[in-house]
Formats: sequence, C-alpha cells, structure tokens
Amino acid sequence: MRRLIASGSRQGNILAIALATLVVAYLAWKVTESPSQSVQFAFNGLSVGAVYALLAMGFTLVYSTVWFFDLYYGAAAAIGAYSVFYLRSKEAIGGLYQVQNPVVNVLFAAVVAGVVAWALYEILWPRLRGRVSQRGMYGIVAAAGAAAGVYSGLVFTYTDNIHLLFGPVAGLAIGVIVALGVREALQRLTGDEGGRVAAYVSAAVGMAVAVVAAALIAGTPETKLYLSWAVSCLLAGCVGLGIYRGLYVTLRQRARSPLVMLVASMGILLAISAAITIVFESAPRPLPDAFGSRPLEIAGGNIKGFNFFTVGVSLVGFAGLLWLLQRTSFGRSVRAIGDDEDVSKVVGINTTVVIAIVFFIGAVFAAMAGILSGHDTAIQPRMGLLLLLKGWIASVVGGIGNLYGALVGGFALGMVEQFGIWDLAGEWKDVISFVVLILFLSFWPKGLLPRK
Amino acid sequence: MATNTPETTEEGRRPGLIPRLANGNVELWANLIVLVWVIAFVLWQGVGFAITIGTVFAIWAILAVSLNLVIGFTGLLSVAHIGFFGIGAYSVAILTSKTDYSLLRTEGIPTYELPFFAALPVGIALAGLTALVVGVVFNRFRDDVFVLVSFGFAIISFNLFLNARAITRGAFGIHDVARPVIGTRVLDGELEFLVMALVCLALVSALAWFIVTSSFGRVLTAIREDEQAASVFGYQVTHYKLAIWVISAMMAAVAGGLFSSWTSFIDPNSFILLESILLVSIVILGGLATIWGSLLGAMTFVLLEEGMRFIPFLPDVYVGQARQVVLGVMLVLLMLFRPQGLLGRYRL
Amino acid sequence: MTQVPARDAEHYALGTVGVSKNFGGVQALHRLSISIPKGQITCVIGPNGSGKSTLINILSGVLPMDSGMVIVDGVGLRTVHPYETPDLGITRTFQDVRLFNQISVMDNIMVVLTERKLWPSLFQRSKSEHRQRAEQVLRDVGMWDKRDAMAEDLSYGQRKLLEMARAMALDVNIYLFDEPFAGLFPQMLVRVKDILKQLRAREKSILFISHNMEIVRELSDHLIVMDSGELLVEGDVDEVLAKQEVIEAYLGA
Ligand SMILES: Nc1ncnc2c1ncn2[C@@H]1O[C@H](COP(=O)(O)OP(=O)(O)O)[C@@H](O)[C@H]1O
Ligand SMILES: [Mg+2]
Repeated sequence: MRRLIASGSRQGNILAIALATLVVAYLAWKVTESPSQSVQFAFNGLSVGAVYALLAMGFTLVYSTVWFFDLYYGAAAAIGAYSVFYLRSKEAIGGLYQVQNPVVNVLFAAVVAGVVAWALYEILWPRLRGRVSQRGMYGIVAAAGAAAGVYSGLVFTYTDNIHLLFGPVAGLAIGVIVALGVREALQRLTGDEGGRVAAYVSAAVGMAVAVVAAALIAGTPETKLYLSWAVSCLLAGCVGLGIYRGLYVTLRQRARSPLVMLVASMGILLAISAAITIVFESAPRPLPDAFGSRPLEIAGGNIKGFNFFTVGVSLVGFAGLLWLLQRTSFGRSVRAIGDDEDVSKVVGINTTVVIAIVFFIGAVFAAMAGILSGHDTAIQPRMGLLLLLKGWIASVVGGIGNLYGALVGGFALGMVEQFGIWDLAGEWKDVISFVVLILFLSFWPKGLLPRK
Repeated sequence: MATNTPETTEEGRRPGLIPRLANGNVELWANLIVLVWVIAFVLWQGVGFAITIGTVFAIWAILAVSLNLVIGFTGLLSVAHIGFFGIGAYSVAILTSKTDYSLLRTEGIPTYELPFFAALPVGIALAGLTALVVGVVFNRFRDDVFVLVSFGFAIISFNLFLNARAITRGAFGIHDVARPVIGTRVLDGELEFLVMALVCLALVSALAWFIVTSSFGRVLTAIREDEQAASVFGYQVTHYKLAIWVISAMMAAVAGGLFSSWTSFIDPNSFILLESILLVSIVILGGLATIWGSLLGAMTFVLLEEGMRFIPFLPDVYVGQARQVVLGVMLVLLMLFRPQGLLGRYRL
Repeated sequence: MTQVPARDAEHYALGTVGVSKNFGGVQALHRLSISIPKGQITCVIGPNGSGKSTLINILSGVLPMDSGMVIVDGVGLRTVHPYETPDLGITRTFQDVRLFNQISVMDNIMVVLTERKLWPSLFQRSKSEHRQRAEQVLRDVGMWDKRDAMAEDLSYGQRKLLEMARAMALDVNIYLFDEPFAGLFPQMLVRVKDILKQLRAREKSILFISHNMEIVRELSDHLIVMDSGELLVEGDVDEVLAKQEVIEAYLGA
C-alpha cells in the first residue's frame, strides 16, 4: 500500500471523536430548533451528496488502480455536461442558441474513431492472429474505426434527429443487456454451462428486444434528451480512454513520480476547459429541463423529483461498480493491478486494456455527475475543476481506494456542506468542504472506511 | 542530465555557440527564441505597449521566481500561491484606497489612506503570517496530497476575498489603490512604474538567488530529494520547509501589492484558482529549480498572449483562452519530453 | 538464555533497553536490549524481516519506539529525533540507498558538512574548509572524478559507496550501516571492507547488518543475532558463532 500521508497522528482519534460529538450535538440542536428546515437541508445535502458520491466513486476507482491523481477527471464532467448542451442547446434556451461547430464535430468523430479502432484491435487481434495478416488487421480496424467516426460525426451534426440516428444503437445496447441477462438466467435455471439452447434463446430474445426498443426510441422524439445523456457519457468515456491510451501509457513509463502525471493531466484540464470556453463562452448556461423539475413537498421540505433520480443513479452506479469489482474477473484484475501492477502484468493480465476500461468507466461516472448537477443547477466551462476537487475530497473523507467509502464520503460531504451553511451563508460551502478535508487529512488521514 | 550540461568535446573544450545550437541544446534555443521574440515584439508593437507588457511580466516573474523556491527547490507542488498574492494585493488596496465608500451606494469599508510604501510591508507581513499558520498545518503533507490541500488554500482564500465583504467589498472590488510615492514624486507614469516593478523583480530575484546559493538552499534541495535522509544529517526539515514557504509567500505579496497599485482597482476575479494553475504552468515551463528559467517562463507566458493575436479567425476576447490551451498542451509535452521544464535543474 | 551484558558507559557507545516496535499487527521489535561496544565493529545478523533495519531506524530516530530506551554514552533517551543524531554522535546509511538524487555528488557530501541551524545557514556560502573536507572524503572512497555527476546517474555500487562517504563525512563516533555489502561486486566489496577497517582504526564504533558470514567473521568483533524482533544471542563473535542455537537457527539453514 502506498503511503499517502507523511505522518499520521494518534491524538487524532480523540479529536475526531470530539469533533464528531460536536457535529452531532449541533445537528441535534438544529433539528429540534426547526425540524422542517432541517428536512430541507437534509434534502439538499442528499441531492448534492449524490453527485459527490458519483464523482468520488469514479475518482477512487481510477486512483486506486493507477495511483495518481488524474485531473482529466474534472474535464470529463465538463465534457459530459457540455456535450448534452451541445446536443440539446436549442431546447435549453428556447431555440435561440445552437452551437454546431464542424471543427468540434470532426474532433469528436476522430476521438471516437481512434478509440473504436484501438478497442477492436485489442479485442480481435488475439483471436485473429495467424489467420489475418498484420496489414489486413490494420485495414479491418481502420475501416471499422472510420465507420464509427463517420457515424458519431453524423450523430453530433444532426442533433435534431438524434433519436433516429442513435436510437438503433441504444436499442441494440438494451438488446445485448437483455440477452446477457436471459442467458445468465437460463443457465442458472437449467444448470447447463455454455448450453446451446440458452445461447439461441437469449440471442433471439435479445434481437427481438433490440428491434422493438430501437423502433420505440426512434419513434419517440421525447427520448432525445436521454439519448444525449448516453452519447455524452460515451463521449467523455472515449476521450478519457483516448487520453489514457494516447498519452498516459507512454507517460507512465517515463514518469518518475505521480506528480508528473498530475501535472500532465493538469495541462489537459487547462486545455480542455479553455477550449470549452472558446466554443461555448464563459457564461453559465442551463441544460434543458428534464423530468421532475417541479418541487415536491415532503415532511415540510421541498425536493425535486429529479434529485431523487440523482440519488437513484448514484446508488445504481454504486451497485453496478460493486458488482463489477467484486464479482467479475475484470474486477479481480482491477484490484490486482491496484495492489501491484508489475506482478499483474507477469501473471498475464493485459494491464493496458484493463486500465483503459477503468479510465473509461471513471470518465463516464464523472460525466454523469456533471450532467446531473448541470440539470440541477447550471453548467460552466470551469465547472470541472471544482467538481473534481469535491469528488477528491469526498473520496478522502470516505477513505481513498474504498468504494463503500466513496459512497459514504460523498453523501457525508454533501450533508456537512449543506448543514454547514445553515448558520453561515451558501457562499461558504466550498470553504466548509476544504476545512473538512484538511481536518480529515490531519487527524484521520485514512478516512471513514480505510482501504484494507 | 546529459541534456543539461553543455556537451563537451573530446578535448574537454566546450563547443562554440553554433554547434551547440545545431546539436539541439534546448536551453540555448529557449533563451534565443525568447530574446528574438522580445525584440520583434518591441519593434512591432512599439515601446509604449511594451512598457505595459513589461509591467505585467515583472509581476508574473516575481510570482514565478518565488513559487519556484517552493516547487523547484523544495519539491512542494503548491497551487496555493495565488492566495498570498491576493493577500498582498488586498492589503495594499484596503490600506491605501482613498474612495469614500459611504458615498457609493454599495457595501462600505473604512478607508485608511496610507501611502503605498507603508501598506506594502503590512501586506508582506500579513502574507507571511498567514503562510506561517497555513504552513504549520500543511507541513505534514507532501506529494499529491500537498497539491490537494494547496488547492484548498487557494479556494478558501478566494472565497474570503469574495465573501468577507466587510473587509474586501466582495465582488464590488476596491477602487483608487494608491500609486507608490518616492519622496515627493508620485510614480504615476507607466514607465516609472515599470522601473519600480523591475527593481522589485531584481530585488526578489537577488534574494532568491542569495537563498538558493547558500547552505540553506542546498539543504532545501536535499529535503526535496529525501526528507528523511536530510533529517538524519541534522536538519529540522519542518523548519526549513516552513521558512521557505513563508519567504516565498512574502515575495508573492510584493507582487500582489504592485499589481493592485498598478491596476488601481482589484476584485476577486484576479485571484481565482485558474490563475494559480497558470502560475504553476509558468514555473514548470520555465524550468524547475532555476531562477533565470522562471523569468524566461514569465516572459514566454506574457508574450504568448500577444503571439496568440496572430492566429487567424480567433476573436480577441478568446486570446486568453487560446493561450491556456497552448499552455496546457505545452505542459503535456514538457511532461513527456522534458519534465524539468525548459531550463530546469530538477525533474518532477 | 539471553544475556544482557553490563551497560557501563565506558565500554559501550550505544545500546537499547527493552525497545519494542509495532507496525499495525507486526511486532518488528520485541523488548530488545543490545549494546554496541566502543571502538569495535558490531554486526547484526538475522533472517529477513527479523527487525534489523527497524533497529537501526530506531537508533537513528527515523522511527519512534513504542517503549523502551536508547542509550547513548550512558544516557537513556526515550525519544530520539532524527535531527539530533549527529549531535549524539550517530550517523547511518539506508538499506535502500537513499542519496539526494538530483544534486551533484559533491553537493551530496556538502549537505552534511554545512551549518545545521536554519538562520546561520542562510548566510553561509560554501566554505573552502567544507570543500576540502568533501574532497578528502570523496578521494578516500575514490569518487573524486565523479564529483560533478548527478547522484542518480551513478551505478549501484557507486551509489552505495557515495552513501557511505556521505555518512563518513560526518566525523561522529558511531556509524550504523544497513547492509553495506548487499549487491556489491567483489571489487567494491573490498573497498567497503577497507572503509570499515579504516573507521575501526580511528576508534569509531560501528554497527553493520550483513548476511555474508565470511565478512561477518572477518570484520566483526561483536555479534548480535536477532530473530523475529527478539535478541537471540549477543556477544563476542567466536563465542556466539560456536553456539548451538545460532547454528541451528541461522547458520544451519
Ligand atoms: N515502515 C514499516 N511499516 C510497516 N511495517 C514495517 C515497516 N518497516 C518494517 N516493517 C516490518 O517490520 C518487520 C521487520 O522489518 P525490518 O526491520 O526491515 O527487517 P530486516 O531489516 O531484518 O529484514 C518486517 O515484518 C517488516 O514487514
Ligand atoms: Mg533490512
């Protein structure tokens, strides 16, 4: 295990307990003083905390695999949010503002083409080696990459028809997921590993579902917003993967310390944020209204339905990530790499591919957080850095490298921030976060739930 | 280090300038290019504009030199510097401002109307004091955790500038910051101010040079390389780190005082986290653990903005953003090919 | 069966009394009491993970001890701060060779020679007496021609040598060397042996860790055998090496 902190302290525990008691006492006092208001603050804390938890989960996943702080992660949140804006800006500002920049489209298409080509190569080459020449392989991969690039270029260019263009892909994805589920279920039921029947049945069901879903989505223009979420998450993920494969792999071989990686990713964050500002201007912008934007009154507090959705997404994201890490061979590889990358390489894990997927997932989580918080408030080109820092803090509070810790830390930070501004004012919430961070690092450096 | 030391021929003589350039000596090239760029810029834009740019350069350079003491010589990658810069700027602004804020129908603060040279030491002392307190807390952190907490200091200080309205007037900013007065002479003119700023830069650089060439400076580099080993040889490393941290913060406050006096109006927007990241980029670009490199980095940074104006189709308002894109890409390239920066003596 | 020799300040330069150290669940040292005779070479042997390096770390203040005392020149200390050790007359090397990598070989030596107090050090330029001393030390270990190289560019053997030179630049009474012979070619081995002999000739007290029994027999006067954080035997080399339990526990394997 890395030593994150130069020195811990034993008196810290006493202070931590004292502080925790104080916090609890303060809370109790506040709650008895004004129950309805405290419900309100709890709701706020919950919805902010859900975003922080999402950020912390992705962050912790990436950090505990490669052990450097990747600031691109913040840019991923901004890319996700601005991609939704890019795709749906007309609806956001009432048909007045649409960016549509061919340069940007080509750039996105190039990223997607590169990532798809690389992924295909990694998947196919081990299987086709010997049957196809190296050059033939490059031909296949280049063609597939180009096709994916053209397709994504179209999706980005004809944003009004995103349901027609992207609907079939989304349907296909749903079909594949259903097919996998069906096969798993059938195999469990019949106790028949790798059976033919299961394969055929699940394939048939999957295809049927895919066709129906594709047709449904394509026929429902209301799905545009949600499709744009998917596209945006994929895009942020692809950019993350592209940066990892194109830059970090080389850089990590040369880097003498994690700081080199940190500085390089700082450069990336700087460049991407500035580029976003150039394309979208620096003023804050809204994202189009999603569902549930009207506040509901529950127990004396107001909360938007959308905020419940945010909480739901973070919980589902947590469950999914947990499953992935604990139950799949991919998860075992990730943990092995986090423990010792060189040894993992020796025992035959394709570390480059596994880490690439980790970066993809991490960026998708960041993008989700960016999009959800964007719908809740507004988006700004420089939103990434602050979101990143909050995710970073949340994962420190929760215990860096621990997924449960990330969830707990995220919600805890959100709550502390919101209850903290009760007696102060809203503008001090960033200060509160960082004070919490410094307290934790000083006295409780391993966080609430330390990584074993 | 082969790239750093000028290659010597077999007889042990240093080859001439031209062969070294031809061999791709990065340091020489960097110096040469910036020199040519400066001359070209002065010829192209005229002396008047060059004076303005020169002042901007001097302020960034003071910051870069002082930050290099912390990052390059002591190995603490700090993003906190903008906070100390802000403390210097706000101290001078608040103490020298003559505006009667009760007449403006916005938030009022008391006025002190001190002269610049009385306010600047207060700012420096305040920055030093803050650095001392912060440093005591931060001393235990290092590497990436240090980066994180230094982000924290930058954000906290920005929020203080923005929200402590009773002292700073928040987003309204502070007007009429006094220009320095020497004897009876008010340094009103741009040229006079440039000279003054350059004198400050020279003093700060000289002090930095004095520090890094002393035994103290050598100990700092040892701490950067291995804190524990340095402590076994009798050095109380926490004291050394604290000392350089405070000194560097005080230097940043000098830059802050100059800045607020020069622009005569400041608001929190000049002290956002982004500026600190840009500053770190300047230091790394110019080179770690070299004072001349920081000057070069600041010059490059300032000229880069002017260079951006050559880019076709780029509206003027985006010149600053375009510079950030270039700077970001440069950081990545440097980390790939030259992690010590252009003239650096220390690789991250 | 563990005999603790009398600890009189006249004969012993350094020692520990009942020192314990825990890392989480791992008991790296358990109530360890040893002593290092003045002007002799003491060797610590023991299997990997038996706490030898931890012992040196505690003697040099790099790690705080959980309980017990370090005895320097007859004075018992409950805490040793690393920055006090030169004043206590102790210096050391590290098992994993820890040089100041990105500064020159010369500066690596200069660092340990110059002013240790913060404020005076600001006003101290490199003095010729320091430079002469550094030159002498570097010449002693045969690295004078490397003086301008970066420490990180040296070969492993040279790094090891430089680390010893850095320790020897300090003119103290007690030298702690953590595995000075590990990973060295025979040629280098001879040089390091010479260094230890020179130091003994100057009546310095030396403690070193080694796994090489030939060297142990050749060099050391006093031997400490450790196992799982505890003292197995301590005493004169020949006596100790003759003991059955040592042969069984360590040499027999
Ligand atoms: N800094 C540390 N943190 C945790 N455990 C340590 C640390 N240093 C040593 N240990 C543990 O203490 C035991 C003794 O280690 P060490 O003194 O290095 O043994 P030796 O030098 O005899 O090989 C080992 O089990 C080792 O894992
Ligand atoms: Mg050892």
